[in-house]
Amino acid sequence: MSLEEQQSDEPAELESGVSRGDELADLLGDLVVGREEHMNAPGLVIRPDEVQDALFKLRDEAGFDHLSCVTAQEYEDRYESIYHLTKFDDRTDEVSVVVPTSKDNPVSQSAEPVFRTADWHEREAYDLVGIQYEDHPDLRRILLPETWQGHPLGLDYDQDRPQIATLREHANPLEEDHRAGDSNTMYINIGPHHPATHGVLHVETVVDGEQVVDLESDIGYLHRCEEQMCQQGTYRHQIMPYPDRWDYISAGLLNEWAYARTAEDLADIEVPEYAQIIRTMSAELCRIASHMIALGTFALDVYGDFTAIFMYAMRDREIVQNILEDLTGQRMMFNYFRLGGVVWDLPEPREEFFEKIRDFLDGLPQALEEYHDMITSNEILQARTVGTGVLPPEVAKSYGATGPVARGSGIDYDLRRDDSYGYYDELDWDVVVEDGCDNFSRLLVRMREVEESAKIIQQCVDLLEDWPEDERNIQANVPRTLKPEEDTEIYRAVEGAKGELGIYIRADGTDKPARFKIRSPCFSNLQTLPEMSEGEYIPDMIASLGSLDIVLGEVDR
Amino acid sequence: MSLQAVLPDTISGLLGLEGVLGDVVGGLVGAFLVANIMLIMTAFAGPWAKRKITAAFGDRIAVNRIGPFGLLTIVTDAVRLLSKELIVPEGVDRPAWDLAPIVIPFSALLGFAVIPMGNGIQLADPETGLAFAFAAASIASLGIVMTGYASNNKFSLIGALRAVAANIAYEIPLVVTAASVVIFAGSLRMSEIVAVQAEPLLSVAGVTIPTWFAFVNPFAFALFIIANLAEVGRNPFDIPEAPTEIVAGYQTEYSSVYFVLIYLGEFIHIFLGGAIAATLFLGGPAGPVLPGFVWFTIKIWAFFLFTQWARSAVPRLRVDQFLEIGWKGMLVLSFANLVLTAIIVGVIV
Repeated sequence: MSLEEQQSDEPAELESGVSRGDELADLLGDLVVGREEHMNAPGLVIRPDEVQDALFKLRDEAGFDHLSCVTAQEYEDRYESIYHLTKFDDRTDEVSVVVPTSKDNPVSQSAEPVFRTADWHEREAYDLVGIQYEDHPDLRRILLPETWQGHPLGLDYDQDRPQIATLREHANPLEEDHRAGDSNTMYINIGPHHPATHGVLHVETVVDGEQVVDLESDIGYLHRCEEQMCQQGTYRHQIMPYPDRWDYISAGLLNEWAYARTAEDLADIEVPEYAQIIRTMSAELCRIASHMIALGTFALDVYGDFTAIFMYAMRDREIVQNILEDLTGQRMMFNYFRLGGVVWDLPEPREEFFEKIRDFLDGLPQALEEYHDMITSNEILQARTVGTGVLPPEVAKSYGATGPVARGSGIDYDLRRDDSYGYYDELDWDVVVEDGCDNFSRLLVRMREVEESAKIIQQCVDLLEDWPEDERNIQANVPRTLKPEEDTEIYRAVEGAKGELGIYIRADGTDKPARFKIRSPCFSNLQTLPEMSEGEYIPDMIASLGSLDIVLGEVDR
Repeated sequence: MSLQAVLPDTISGLLGLEGVLGDVVGGLVGAFLVANIMLIMTAFAGPWAKRKITAAFGDRIAVNRIGPFGLLTIVTDAVRLLSKELIVPEGVDRPAWDLAPIVIPFSALLGFAVIPMGNGIQLADPETGLAFAFAAASIASLGIVMTGYASNNKFSLIGALRAVAANIAYEIPLVVTAASVVIFAGSLRMSEIVAVQAEPLLSVAGVTIPTWFAFVNPFAFALFIIANLAEVGRNPFDIPEAPTEIVAGYQTEYSSVYFVLIYLGEFIHIFLGGAIAATLFLGGPAGPVLPGFVWFTIKIWAFFLFTQWARSAVPRLRVDQFLEIGWKGMLVLSFANLVLTAIIVGVIV
């Protein structure tokens, strides 16, 4: 490696001189068969048949209550599942549980009994990489069709092999009609073509009259192999455009930051302060735009189509979009961040640009007032949303729900504060938490977060306006080619519009990642839908789905 | 009081026809005229006014490219909708599936037979006019049930079941509230109900306020308008269609001409709801300066505007809440209103 990076993994040393890894290894005792160091956390290697024991211990005795992500990958000699654990109360306390399995018998114990969120994550690992999880309640493919042959992220997968599956082999959704039985239930396919599924989501629903008895989300319609595409791009420039396409509804810059943060930590790049402020400001603009859409479409779900409130939200979002267009040159696929900074400085004339943002911020309280008049203080809306779609905090934690969904359930968890990055810890703002746990709380959280974002933007504009002209450094010196050392592993997350957007990268010494794993907040949040909806009426199920604010581009990747 | 001549008689009189021939020709020509008046209004309401109104509520402009104010959109939309392929899904119950789109608009049109539209435009004036109007308006529910079970689609079925539940829950308060007007007027005959409302209630500074029942009993008027919203299925009571929940409810499987017919039926239904409300509570075609028919048109369009306003601004209720309001709220209030009215009328009049 000809690069000057110092890849010394620094395990978080405690005062006593004992590292966090040693402490946790002591706790698990014989369960640990080896140690690794990841850049973000110590790694504990566990035997594949003792996963549950280890995770139970870590959860109950060390307080690791958040299974953020499950990464699966294949090496030349083994398969490996990594459970990225952290805490809702202390996000910077992380540990990776590494579970290697043999090549010829890739079976590993499921973590589902410990963390419900492992259900979908392990299904994805099985689907894309091919690891089998023992004890898993429902190990089927999740993103690819049932009939897919091979596991695309496995090493011996042949991309050129044609996938031929006859229609007959596909599961027929109409078969489970429940008509033959003498039950009173009815099976309905809600989606993939349905006005309220916010994209191509297929919810297989069993209803008893108007009440939802059972439902299951069928995802994968928008799977575009984003992880694989990122693995084929070089760190320096070729990966950054992809994050825009995950959560494509105005949250592009927030997603770009997830990659920027991970890759910058991996390659040890320091971002200039000025660029950090620009990043913070533009990312919060994206958050406002994204929350506006969430608000508008939630109103659609509850009000019916053609509502004024949707257009109002779009109108105000349009102003944000114009500002972002001035800044980045794009309205949707921004591609504005670069490793080590941003691509260019604020547009000239700067006064005009600041003026535009200030005008928007000045008008925002009035717009929000209008929303509160039309939405939150409406009695019918309250009758519809208060107490419906209830997601208790314990359930939310077990499912790894993050973002406004978690904060609507009273979980005080926001990566901008708890694992601070960018310029957030220099600014004055609050994390919004509502403890109603229902659809109304989630709505309120988003509306109040818009106010907080406005506060952040205001402060950033003030800072940028007074920034000395000769110190406007938008870009650190970054080598033309980045080749992080072989076998460095990192998992980093940022607070995206929908929650914790994490990326795991394993480097193999080349200029492309060996494994690029995306932890999508929508993917985890969507898992909570059955918990919220079973036993409720169809309209409440639709409202709950709207309040989750999922983007299928990010769920399916 | 002297009854005005109904439209068929006027027509046969103008044509100089007598007896059975006069009745038949006058009736047919009159019905043709009235139906076309309503269809023309619907043509304005559906493809044009609805878009413009909704857009105005949402800060948009809507159709403005074809013709002045985009009015010729009506023509292009008609061509577009009529030239679309009529898709008949597998497994539909054929005669019923085809009949429903005819039953829905024509039942609503039938209601207009007894509505006095001013300037002598009224097809018939039977003694039981009001009962006839409600009966005709309710036939539409039959059509909706037909669409629901004949479509072989679960969303349609749910929509139709919701429509029936809604109809039962709201038809009763609607009729009971209307009955309180009948107690005042002492007649079910539409022309008499209108005539009673023409008498002056009181005079304020030279302006005479007529005894429109909306002024006499505003409470009944409010009840009636709310029940009427449910009857025509608009927000917050649009649960039979509920696009974001059950796709399009009972009309999910209909396309092309059938879709047009069902939509036509919905708009005529809204106008019929407005017409009944205007006749019962707003003095029918009465009004100062302008001719009666113009006032009548203004009143039913005002009701149409009201439904569109509600649609843009009011959230939809959940089906159980909807029924709860109907059975536990509206029904009780409407009977209370009826009893109170009966007592007041009995004591004072």
